[in-house]
Amino acid sequence: MKFFNGRIAKRSILLFSCVLLFAASICFAKDYDQLFSDANDAMAQGDLPAAIKILKKVEFEKGDESGAFVRSRMQIARLQFALKDMDAASAAAKEVLAVYPDNSEALNFMASVQQEQKPRYKVFIEDCLRFLPQLLKGAVMTITLVVCIILISPLGGLLIALGRISTFKPVSGLCWFFIWLFRGTPLLLQLFFIYYGLPSLGITFKPFTAAILGLGLNYSAYLGEIIRGGIQSIEHGQMEAAKAIGMSYWQAMRRVIIPQTYKRLMPPIGNEFIALIKDTALVSTIAMVELMRSADQMFNAYFNVTALILAALIYLLFTTIFTFIFEKIEIRAGIYENR
Amino acid sequence: MKTANQPLLSLKGITKHFGSLTAVNGVDLDVCPGEIVVIIGPSGSGKSTLLRSVNFLEEIEEGTILFEGQEIGYVTSKHGRRHLDAPHKICALRSEIGMVFQHFNLFPHMTVLGNVMEGPLTVQKKSPEEAREIALDMLAKVGLSDKRDVYPATLSGGQKQRVAIARALAMRPKLMLFDEPTSALDPELIGEVFDTIRDLGKEGMTMIIVTHQMGFAKEMADRVIFMEKGSFVAQGTPEDFFANQMEHDRIKSFLNRIL
Repeated sequence: MKFFNGRIAKRSILLFSCVLLFAASICFAKDYDQLFSDANDAMAQGDLPAAIKILKKVEFEKGDESGAFVRSRMQIARLQFALKDMDAASAAAKEVLAVYPDNSEALNFMASVQQEQKPRYKVFIEDCLRFLPQLLKGAVMTITLVVCIILISPLGGLLIALGRISTFKPVSGLCWFFIWLFRGTPLLLQLFFIYYGLPSLGITFKPFTAAILGLGLNYSAYLGEIIRGGIQSIEHGQMEAAKAIGMSYWQAMRRVIIPQTYKRLMPPIGNEFIALIKDTALVSTIAMVELMRSADQMFNAYFNVTALILAALIYLLFTTIFTFIFEKIEIRAGIYENR
Repeated sequence: MKTANQPLLSLKGITKHFGSLTAVNGVDLDVCPGEIVVIIGPSGSGKSTLLRSVNFLEEIEEGTILFEGQEIGYVTSKHGRRHLDAPHKICALRSEIGMVFQHFNLFPHMTVLGNVMEGPLTVQKKSPEEAREIALDMLAKVGLSDKRDVYPATLSGGQKQRVAIARALAMRPKLMLFDEPTSALDPELIGEVFDTIRDLGKEGMTMIIVTHQMGFAKEMADRVIFMEKGSFVAQGTPEDFFANQMEHDRIKSFLNRIL
């Protein structure tokens, strides 16, 4: 009986204490809920210091099962952050860390407080260093494309120009058609057609080949018209004088006419090549990772405008260097006119 | 004796139209080796066109051109259509006939020496050393050895024309054509070009000179031809021409106008 009574007593004590604990926890929880909702009201009214005051009433209890303490301190930290009081903000986060040294929310918060306390230029430089390797990789591809097109398109343009002024109608007609087609449609469309359209006809290109092909054809068409203009701007007497000493048409072109066009062609061709540097950005749409695409990737990954600013600076650097080089070449090409 | 009398150049019935305009109308002309023919006449009389057609810079519609007794420059296709001979043959013919233009047409991107070397180098495929040798000779002949390394832009009109003469001579032509060689020059620069051409004549060069400059007709011509409206109106030795043909009304009015 005694044994029985003792068991009952033990059970009832256990039960009682459980009920008591439950009641207490409900009671306390309810209390904190009230505090949080008061704090929210204060925030809604825009009175952040009041909200902080209310939240500070939440006190640490062993275990902090309800998470109320962490919740309140992090809320205080964010509010102080919003109020630009970084010391108070980190103090609140440190309270959390004192109890839970590896609370990731608090750790992240401390990191962003540190970031916020750094001067802007330091942040910018850090971003630059983070994005630069990827952007430079893209820039190398951009320059590769530009150099390839600078090597290809003047040759293509010269062929088209000579074809255009040919007296043989099929050739001049074909060259006219080529220029008409590639000058008359958007470069973007040409790139799409070559990369996405031609595979349906059974012709597939790698992105790089497609990019070279699209840019090469387009720029050959433009340069063709420029070079034709240059050739036709050389006065007729030059061709006659060359013929009069017995030169053939092609000898006269090669030795007399075309060399005289160099100086006249440098400004418009330089212009085209500067446009080319920027037009290479279009090949980012056909799976080419060049400067624009790299910048776009960085921007999307970090949502950080520094990537775009850096890309713009690299483009500016390229165009500036090219302008400078073309000015030098122009002066050299026309040296006989200045002496 | 007979070969010496064979004309170097013989034009028969040369006719050239520009649209409805008859520029040259059935012209006959024999030029003997060493002869200097001066053609004068008003602007638009067809004298430049005639000269240019000798060098195939103009394609004539009718007539034949004989050079050293050979008919040159034109072939008749199977369909009976007449057209210019193959380009390489035309080039070969042109390299035997030198031409000097009113506006010099020097190659501005080459130095003076480069201009004169260009024919031997590119057309005759001579070695650079050989071409340079020839060019230096020719520049000495026109008295411009000291200007060999400058570009044409720095030369006076008279100097430019002398370089142009040297350039034509460097091909060792058998016949020289001058298309108004002094018309673009300031009066004080005419003399040097005139003297250069006269020296050439003294060396026995066969020349046809189209000009407005009566000095050529009076002082170096073996024969003076007056051309008007595409035809030869009168011709003769300078003495004969200026003494007797002056009776011709149209020549008289032309000479009165330009003298």
